[in-house]
Amino acid sequence: MRILRRRFLVGAAGLAAAALSIAAFAQGKEPIKIGAVLSLTGPGAGLGQGERTGILLAEKAINSKGGVRGRPVKVIIEDDGSKPDNAKSKAENLIFNEKVKAIVGGSLTASTGAIAAITNGQGVPQLALTGLGPPIELTYKSVFHLLPPQALNAKAMLEYATKGLKAKKVGVLHDSGYGQLVMNALKAQSDAYGMEYVAIEKFEVGATDVSTQAAKVRAANPDVVFVIATNPIPFRNARQMRITQPIVSAIGSSSYQYVSGMGEFANDIVFPEFLVPEYPMPHQAEFVNLHRITYNVLPKNYEAAGWDAIHVIAKALETTGADASGEVIAQALRTPHRGVLASYNFGATDMTGIELSSYVYSKLVGGKFVRLPFITR
Amino acid sequence: MDLTLLLQSALAGLTNGFVYALIGLGLSVIFRGTRIINAMQGEFALIGGMASYVLLESLGVALPVAALGGAVLGGITGVLVEAVLVRPMRRRGASEESYLLLTLGVAFAISAAVLYFFGRDARLLPGIGGEASALFFDAAIRVHAIWLIVIASAVMALLWLFYHRTVVGLSMMAASVDEQGATTVGINVPLMRTLTFLLGGLVGGLAGVLVSPLITIHYEMGLLLTLKGFAAAILGGLANPFGAVVGGVTLGLVESGAVLYFASGYKDVVSMVILIVIMIVMPNGMLGRGARKGG
Repeated sequence: MRILRRRFLVGAAGLAAAALSIAAFAQGKEPIKIGAVLSLTGPGAGLGQGERTGILLAEKAINSKGGVRGRPVKVIIEDDGSKPDNAKSKAENLIFNEKVKAIVGGSLTASTGAIAAITNGQGVPQLALTGLGPPIELTYKSVFHLLPPQALNAKAMLEYATKGLKAKKVGVLHDSGYGQLVMNALKAQSDAYGMEYVAIEKFEVGATDVSTQAAKVRAANPDVVFVIATNPIPFRNARQMRITQPIVSAIGSSSYQYVSGMGEFANDIVFPEFLVPEYPMPHQAEFVNLHRITYNVLPKNYEAAGWDAIHVIAKALETTGADASGEVIAQALRTPHRGVLASYNFGATDMTGIELSSYVYSKLVGGKFVRLPFITR
Repeated sequence: MDLTLLLQSALAGLTNGFVYALIGLGLSVIFRGTRIINAMQGEFALIGGMASYVLLESLGVALPVAALGGAVLGGITGVLVEAVLVRPMRRRGASEESYLLLTLGVAFAISAAVLYFFGRDARLLPGIGGEASALFFDAAIRVHAIWLIVIASAVMALLWLFYHRTVVGLSMMAASVDEQGATTVGINVPLMRTLTFLLGGLVGGLAGVLVSPLITIHYEMGLLLTLKGFAAAILGGLANPFGAVVGGVTLGLVESGAVLYFASGYKDVVSMVILIVIMIVMPNGMLGRGARKGG
């Protein structure tokens, strides 16, 4: 037994030394630069800050395993302040001065478009964290996105409402930003799901009270209520106005930040999303643990998207080498990739290839996310 | 029109209106005393709300003490801004526009500091009466919202008494209206300006404590509140604190009425058109005349 233990210790020490020497070897070489333009401040900070932690964690994880072809990865992160003009100038700096091999971002649609105008012209691969929509992206040669298009988010909501809850009539409370995008997609698919919208109430982003809108939704007596907002207030107001029907929301509303603001009303709200870290899928467990150990908090979807973005690029660079042209790297990016968030196929017509089956469903129970057994096929 | 919906709209309008009024009150106090348009009034609320939250959740003090602490810290912030930033600028003859820029810059700095130190999470202060609601003919209003309306009305009344019945209040007005005249009769004008910022900060901090159980505390709340409070103060008459209340309540009721009678997507368009019409008819604000009478 003692010999076994000694052998184990010697083996473990050897492995640790090997890992350290690989990492040290990688550190000694010129790093491969990857740029990231994120919304770390301003209205998009709720997305960008999470994406940043995922990106930094991925950089650390890849380098600790020896980097890409023995070279360390260095991610240069820029803040666009949630403004597309800033995003454009930051992307130009990354491409022309820093000579990055690929760009991750932006966090918001307008920034993504501004960056894409540069990356497309220069042939630099871009992994966007929000989509411009397939009709636009298909005209670009090297822009892909990691998060699902709103059409897919809408489908995931309707799947649960119609199949999980057997609902026919829906009332909607949505904001004028993210909520409007999802609402447009929901309307486009209502006929396919036989869903009737009995009340659609809109409010501005950052509204401090939407109780009148919530009262109008309640008066329409829907079977289920969709609340789509980047703010906890509409969820609180819906329950305060005694909307007792189940609430279904969208992935963008699923964050600990909003749940803490919902207070005692963080209950019976369902989110179609990808990562429920309290109940991770097997392929998500390593990332969730590493994130928890490193930052002492659980990650959510946007952290996972940041992690996946760097891993997707690193995998492509591993195949092509860092000296390959942008076009060759973009071609390598089209290879299917199993990420923490979802399984991607950037060669698909929607430029992301995420299937409905990648969604998992969580429900808030007493302020905690619980993964539901409901699945889509 | 469904009576319940009509009542619900009125209650929501009143609640929102008094939220706007509380911010507008502070803006108006500072403008009345210094002629400075304070773009960081919402930040006083952010500081007040966040300080109360920290006192309550991290230090475990009782809610009334935490609320008092939040309001006081708002006042202290006001004094610091005046003493460290405004006073040196005034000595160098800064224009009115530069104070607007100064307070706007400080607002962004405070918001960024809250983001850095406290993160993005929305925080919730417990309200008076918890999450309980009162029903009026099947229309609901938070018990806390009723208290907010009562307290905001009391603050308005106290401010009226302060400006009309106390030596300090009258001195603050005199220092604002005629600096040289006030100095001649022995009023310490710089002290009055500092007290004005103290008062504005106190009202702002109190607003944060009262508003936070309704809208949650987060690093971006300040600017959002300032915009609505500014609209309320302008509508009512910027130099008149009571105008801010009238303006805030009008704004809140018009907004909620617009949701009721029009598609909610047009709420801002409808309410802004109505407000523009009011401003054309009454360019000094709804209580603008009263403000001039008061100085």
